[in-house]
Amino acid sequence: MFEIVLTREDANTEFALLAEWLVEDRAEVQQGQPVCVVETTKATVEIEAPGAGTIVQLYDEGVEVELGKTVARIAESADELASLEQDAEREQPTPKPSPTDRKATRKAAELAERHGVDLASIEKRGFVTEKDVEELIARQKAAASPGRGSALAGLSTSNVTLPSSFNLDESTGALDPSFFERLRSDSESFRLLPPDEKVAILRQYGAQIGEGVVLGEGSLVAAPQIVIEDGVEIGPRATIRCEEVVAIGESSQFGADLELLCRRAFLGAGIWAGRSIRFGGGGHRDPWAVLTVGDLAFVGDEAFVNVCRPVLIGREVFLTMRSLIVTHNVGHSLLEGFENRFAPVVLEDRAQVGLGAVIYAGCRIGAEAIVASNSYVTGDIPAGAFAIGVPAKVTGSSSHKVSRSRQIELGRRMIDDLHELLALRGHEVSAIRDDDAYGFEVGGVPVLFVPSFGEGRPGAVMLTLEVGGEPAEGVVVLDLVERKLHGSGGGDVLESVREFCRKRGIRFGPGPWRYRGGLV
Amino acid sequence: MSKRCVQVLNEALHEVFAERDDVYLLGEDILDPYGGAFKVSQGLSDAYPDRVLTTPISEASLFGVAAGMALRGQRPILEIMFGDFIALGLDQIVNGIAKFREMYDDQVTVPLVVRTPMGGRRGYGPTHSQSLEKLLLGVPNIVVVAASECHDLRDLVVTAVEDERPVFLIENKLMYGRPNRRPEDGHIGELSVRESSAPYPALTFSGTDFSEGTATIVTYGGMVPVVLDAVTELILEHEIFCEVVALSQLLPIELDPVLESVARTGALVTAEEGTLTGGFGAEIAARVQEACWSDLRGPVQRVAARDGIIPSARPLEDAMLPSAHDVVEAIVALEAVRS
Repeated sequence: MFEIVLTREDANTEFALLAEWLVEDRAEVQQGQPVCVVETTKATVEIEAPGAGTIVQLYDEGVEVELGKTVARIAESADELASLEQDAEREQPTPKPSPTDRKATRKAAELAERHGVDLASIEKRGFVTEKDVEELIARQKAAASPGRGSALAGLSTSNVTLPSSFNLDESTGALDPSFFERLRSDSESFRLLPPDEKVAILRQYGAQIGEGVVLGEGSLVAAPQIVIEDGVEIGPRATIRCEEVVAIGESSQFGADLELLCRRAFLGAGIWAGRSIRFGGGGHRDPWAVLTVGDLAFVGDEAFVNVCRPVLIGREVFLTMRSLIVTHNVGHSLLEGFENRFAPVVLEDRAQVGLGAVIYAGCRIGAEAIVASNSYVTGDIPAGAFAIGVPAKVTGSSSHKVSRSRQIELGRRMIDDLHELLALRGHEVSAIRDDDAYGFEVGGVPVLFVPSFGEGRPGAVMLTLEVGGEPAEGVVVLDLVERKLHGSGGGDVLESVREFCRKRGIRFGPGPWRYRGGLV
Repeated sequence: MSKRCVQVLNEALHEVFAERDDVYLLGEDILDPYGGAFKVSQGLSDAYPDRVLTTPISEASLFGVAAGMALRGQRPILEIMFGDFIALGLDQIVNGIAKFREMYDDQVTVPLVVRTPMGGRRGYGPTHSQSLEKLLLGVPNIVVVAASECHDLRDLVVTAVEDERPVFLIENKLMYGRPNRRPEDGHIGELSVRESSAPYPALTFSGTDFSEGTATIVTYGGMVPVVLDAVTELILEHEIFCEVVALSQLLPIELDPVLESVARTGALVTAEEGTLTGGFGAEIAARVQEACWSDLRGPVQRVAARDGIIPSARPLEDAMLPSAHDVVEAIVALEAVRS
């Protein structure tokens, strides 16, 4: 048997074109007879039979064949031919690996695997992304429980961390229906009850209300399903009235004169909301009137959020004073060509909406994007963008990368500033020292900055950029980058440092907005 | 399977030869059966023996002859075997071909086409691997067109031959052997594609059907598949979606498709196989920042060959030329500016 192998006529290419067979498959060939034409970039070469016999071709004309492959064999006898016939299934050329063979992104594939979702069930032209998988999961959930999730169908929750209560079981905190009817028909007498009594009565009739919950003077909470976790404080004269459910996560606090009207409200933990805030407005009883506010969000005084379509507010979002979100417009007839819009609004995680800014129906503000004060947003703002103007236009990035050396410089400067502040407040502070740590003592407590925390001084409050070890007993470490507290102790000094850090946008949970008995 | 680019170009030449009897092909080693170093002219000399003129190694004279033929109303097509040797014709190009029409007050035109392959990644070494089209970019009154495997190569050839202006059609060595991947149903693979209606069209690619994008990558020619690989990797691995504008007309500069895309994405990366300094990317960057400074949220990034000569050894050549990885890094650098 002879083999016809494609040799490297041109060492610079990996493939050559098998341009033409000069003999029929299974033909008798003579030694030295040209049997095929191979084309490379700079040459067309005829290949001759290395011996006489019956040729068995392994590739079709017109295919690119990897150099070094056998393109045909020549059988010298009938027996040899028979054995070649057995494995004569034509070998296909090795396909060059192409990244486009894959359609789903890594994130999509991982998410699909976690949720046991079949990627093949996503019918879509183009790439399958994490968002597509999320939407499929949401649709499947919605199909499973048509009452609850359906209002969000089609709205991506990508980059929006929903509060944990979002998937609340329908029976949790459900009120006795007759009591709810009474509450609805005569809410005024309930309002006038002392705060503790209101909480006790709600609990008695089925609401799930945690420890330390304060429901202010003249305030009302009315919904068929009420879940309020530990430590929630609702100021005086609040009106919370939801058609289906209201859920509030632990340690969230709301100032005076809150108005929360919608069908379903899921508010996360550690939210800080100012006074005279309104959620609701036109259409707040609509089936799509769903409000979610993520953990650690900030809502400024007199903010107004219209909820007739879903409004999803992500984790650590800032919706500052007097800002305004609308989910519909009002005006003349759509048949006369006037805009008639009812659409959801999404503020992705860590987005910031400046003072007095307006977010129009249908807009999505990307993660960590900033909308400047008094801007009017009429379209989507991409993640990480800085947008300003009427209408808002992206003019730059919301942040920039900070190098490690610059972080260290900033950490040291924070110590300088805190030192100055405490001194001006009249506290006894030592001089700043700069040895293995940078810092000072106040009231006998060392406040120290180290770029990387290994082990601390007893009783110290340590600020650091990375935590490499467990703090010893009585040492408290603030990881400024991860925004996490490690260890315990610190007392008033720790509270002061936290408050000081908060004003620099470095907030430590739980209850990042609350400081008691601090020195600053 | 789509036809290979070399076959499409070859058929287009056969078509223009059949359509017009004033079309000539001049070049080295273009006669059958060899049919040119890259086989683009295969079969032409057998079919049109009087109109396919094989020449000595004499590029400078060749440009002069072609210019003369064009001035006399013929439509010569020059095949310069390797784009590197366009340097030999620069005097004819810059001081003759580009100027005749204006010097003679529009009484003459110079409708010639220069076809030539550029690009490396073949191990052909310092003088057979360059991308020198940037040398032509400052020359007034000529047209520089870069073919890519995603463009309609037949149309580019036909349009170039019909064009009254001198047209330099830049081909690419690796492109020849690849399938001519044209949009089907508005898509190439998983990417949506829009094609401009210009005579030498631009293709704009998007992984999100043009709804969003992190950056625009403007490129041409042999870098198109490299950039598309990078964009696919960015999507699959990082869910970063970039638009790609694959120009075919490099000169006169066609900025509209780039500006339209940048308006959507707010960031620009340029990618070319030629050396960085004084290149295509520099010109595009200057013009884009001038036209839409406020749309840009970060500095324009340029991906190009290192400023050096191309070594013969493949690993060294690979290190010299821009790769898909370089494009990914440029986008990641832009992202770092953002976050």
